[in-house]
Amino acid sequence: EEAWMNAPDRFELFTLGDNEKKVVFTKDTKVRDAASFIIAKEDHTLGNILRMQLLRDKEVLFAGYKVPHPLETHFVVKIQTTPTSTPMVAIQNSISELISEASLIEERFKAELQRKRGPEQMYM
Amino acid sequence: RVKQMEVDSGKDKNGKLPSDLEHKRTRVKVGILAPSDAATYESYGMFNSMGYDNSINLQSFKDGFQVINVKDDKENNELSFDMVGIDAPLANAFRRIMISEVPTMAIEKVYIVNNTGVIQDEVLAHRLGLVPVIANPSDFEFPGTEDSATNSICFTIDIKCTKNPKASNDAPAKLKYINGEVMSDHLIFKPAGEEQEELASRSPIRVQPGILLAKLRHNQEIKLEARCVKGLGKDHAKFSPVATATYRLLPEITISEKQPILGAEAADLVKLCPMKVFDIEDIGKGKQKAVVANPRECSMCRECIRDPRFADRVTLARVKNHFIFSVESTGAVAPKDIVLQAIQVLKDKCLVIDEELARKVV
Repeated sequence: EEAWMNAPDRFELFTLGDNEKKVVFTKDTKVRDAASFIIAKEDHTLGNILRMQLLRDKEVLFAGYKVPHPLETHFVVKIQTTPTSTPMVAIQNSISELISEASLIEERFKAELQRKRGPEQMYM
Repeated sequence: RVKQMEVDSGKDKNGKLPSDLEHKRTRVKVGILAPSDAATYESYGMFNSMGYDNSINLQSFKDGFQVINVKDDKENNELSFDMVGIDAPLANAFRRIMISEVPTMAIEKVYIVNNTGVIQDEVLAHRLGLVPVIANPSDFEFPGTEDSATNSICFTIDIKCTKNPKASNDAPAKLKYINGEVMSDHLIFKPAGEEQEELASRSPIRVQPGILLAKLRHNQEIKLEARCVKGLGKDHAKFSPVATATYRLLPEITISEKQPILGAEAADLVKLCPMKVFDIEDIGKGKQKAVVANPRECSMCRECIRDPRFADRVTLARVKNHFIFSVESTGAVAPKDIVLQAIQVLKDKCLVIDEELARKVV
């Protein structure tokens, strides 16, 4: 792809390329029940909260994330679980819990706004 | 056969940590030189040997989480609120999303028909891009291959500067020239069809007024058409809906119970603090004691602990899971909507990953 003066297009920060997959799953060859997930076109915003949520899971023995290079927009999450679970299950549970947490935050925020301003119509 | 590994869940939450460890776990200590103990202790099993359960599940999150102290300053487009019971990664995620991933409308392409002013075309176009466009981005789609009524808004400027015949030659420029200053008020919305007219009648589509774009002198004119599209702050800072979105941790100031600050010293302490955090309280028998009246206002200037008299008796700390957010909007989107959209953007990010993972398992 041509990039004049080496600067990549800004939309590449959030738009998936033609042959790119959003999530790439790689099983760890040396350690059992461990895997890495490469999540494309995402940064610390998602990476840090995913890592935080994974550490709350009792089946997770190891969870960490890194952004290998700031010029390449993706991050890698490495997960190791106990034999009773798998990294795939752990990451799926974490993502669903994050969605539930976000919904709860939205609910409480809306409720508090409503409480403050009275029964006014909210257009969001 | 798989050997069953037992994960020690620790005793349930009746077990408590010793107070100094609890302080370390929940508070950032702010010392005279630097803060300490800033790390979040996230691992669920780390205090198992002490009988304390550090785990968080959805239910305990629900019980612990609250949104309080919502202050909506509509005049200044500023919203402040507190979120208690979340961790730094989540608070930071909201801050990052509010700054860069909540979409807005902004001027992207400027078609300049005539510009005889001193300001160069590209400089004028750049300035136009940074002007906040007050239109609801959810009414529009992201740009595609062509501009249409559903994904773009059109503004025009058609202005010519003339000399004021009534003003003398020595008059200041504002009096001497008519239309000498091209302001953002001169950007006029040009609806592209009935739907946009209808949208505009419900809530006017305009730009933030009062922004100086260019200066003109006698016989100079500017005639241009500016097209707005929907974009993200990540793409270009002009699309950021917030002037800024910030958070800080709730300050916690304690005066030692065993060595209270009394009398004249108390008065000195109250005077020392620039943010008026301390106050005097009468404890009977004509004695006066210094108390912490307004810890929320503390800006951590550390003046109180710089003074050797109070260095050991006043402790400054921050509560690790209490975030005071401040969202100031540029005017395009109301701050409460920015917060709500930010939460939705976070959910959408997670949903995309969720879908992809589901596909992999199947």
